[in-house]
Amino acid sequence: MIQVKDLTKTYPGDVKAVQGMSFDVPEGQFFGFLGPNGAGKTTTINMLVGLVKRTSGSVAIDGFNLDTHSMEVYRRIGFAMQEVGLDETATAREMLQLHGRLYHLPTAHINEQIAKLLKLVELEKVADRYVSTYSGGMRRRFDLALSLIHEPRVLFLDEPTQGLDPHARQLIWGHLRELNQRGMTIFLTTHFMEEAESLCERIALVDEGRIVADGTIPDLLVEHSADSLEDLFLKTTGSHLADEEVNAKAADPYSRARMR
Amino acid sequence: MNTFFSDWYYLSIRNIKQIWRPAMALIPSLFMPIFFFGVNSVTLSAFATLPGFPHISYKEFIAPVAIFTAIFFSAGNAGIELVQDLSSGYFNKLIIMPINRLAIVLGKLTEVAVQAIMQGAIVIVLLLVAGVHFSTGFLGILAIFAMLSLFAMAWSCIGMITALRTKNARLVQSLFVLVFPFLYLTTSQAPKQLLPATFARIVSYNPVTYIIEGTRALVLSGWGDPVIWQGFVVAAILFVVMVSLTVASFRHSLR
Repeated sequence: MIQVKDLTKTYPGDVKAVQGMSFDVPEGQFFGFLGPNGAGKTTTINMLVGLVKRTSGSVAIDGFNLDTHSMEVYRRIGFAMQEVGLDETATAREMLQLHGRLYHLPTAHINEQIAKLLKLVELEKVADRYVSTYSGGMRRRFDLALSLIHEPRVLFLDEPTQGLDPHARQLIWGHLRELNQRGMTIFLTTHFMEEAESLCERIALVDEGRIVADGTIPDLLVEHSADSLEDLFLKTTGSHLADEEVNAKAADPYSRARMR
Repeated sequence: MNTFFSDWYYLSIRNIKQIWRPAMALIPSLFMPIFFFGVNSVTLSAFATLPGFPHISYKEFIAPVAIFTAIFFSAGNAGIELVQDLSSGYFNKLIIMPINRLAIVLGKLTEVAVQAIMQGAIVIVLLLVAGVHFSTGFLGILAIFAMLSLFAMAWSCIGMITALRTKNARLVQSLFVLVFPFLYLTTSQAPKQLLPATFARIVSYNPVTYIIEGTRALVLSGWGDPVIWQGFVVAAILFVVMVSLTVASFRHSLR
């Protein structure tokens, strides 16, 4: 379902954020993409959905090449980003309606989806409030609902539970399991070991822009003689503090502009 | 193609709602032209007695500038709203949806046009109350809306291009200062024949001059004045060029 070949990203200043990654994610798999801060997880996921330009390499989703059939790819993917980007001047219902329209869904189906998704993320009672009034956890839950309005075949999630309390985290995990059981392919980046253990049938560990381990958790534990996923994480990625992402941002003119 | 028009429509509706949220934000861009019109028509009224000045009052001479200014001041909002969408990450959501990028730009520009017409209409009502006569009548008022909307959309592209290329809110907001040279290096305050030669040459290179002159002709001269069509041609050329540059700037929004 997701095919990635020789994916590379080099930011200005020769900062190598991603270095020749290749992997395939089969249909219906819950795939975890783990690594320390600055390992290149967010850069990779952003390249997979077309938000960051690739230096080289190719990406195909459901057989459609991102370069040549981007619209076909966009129809098939949903993306809940690390930085939840919402229209602060709209209500949750308005945003869901707009996104349903922009995915060209029939009105009746949009209304069904809105009712279902608001219930799913427990936001029915506040659906007509401006999203600017939502708490961090509500925004994350709503962002997940928004990414599901068109029932994507592949769901990309970048640290979807970061900053959430345990209740909200469990709620989202439950929804994700359910979506995956219904056949949705899920690509999840996280640095929470517990999250990966609880959800992912296969994981890839990344460090310094490269995949350093790839397989099911039990297989990888045996292969690397690790006691736990955390032990495996430390053995494969080392215990150094990575700061490539910070460097990459510093090298990125847009981030520099924001910092200014 | 159908999806292009529906995307444009729904994005326009979303953006038009932003005009009212908050409604207070409309006040400054309405206040400024009314303020300038009120002050200038009183303090500079003696200009009308100068040899070479058209046989009209100064109030009538600058009335079209008041309409133009209302639209000019509001056209910068599109860039600011876009940079907000870019900063919040919402823009990223839009560009990974199956939407034509031209529909995203036109959706924003439709908001600009609607706001321009709304603000222009309020100023026109005030001018009518103040006794200004529109020689081309109701159709002329519609033509003014058309010309100034085209110009407002083209002008707002400057903010959108800057937003897409820099994602810097401060820079986009600071573009507001461009209004002043582009407004004052024109015939907004005095007819060309009364301007010093060097200044008059600069004024003739400023495209805004042709928009103001076109609007003025629609208010004062009547349909026979070729300056009206010059204004339309300049506004249309600016629109096409600036929209093309804005769409081309989309690739800069990707890192």
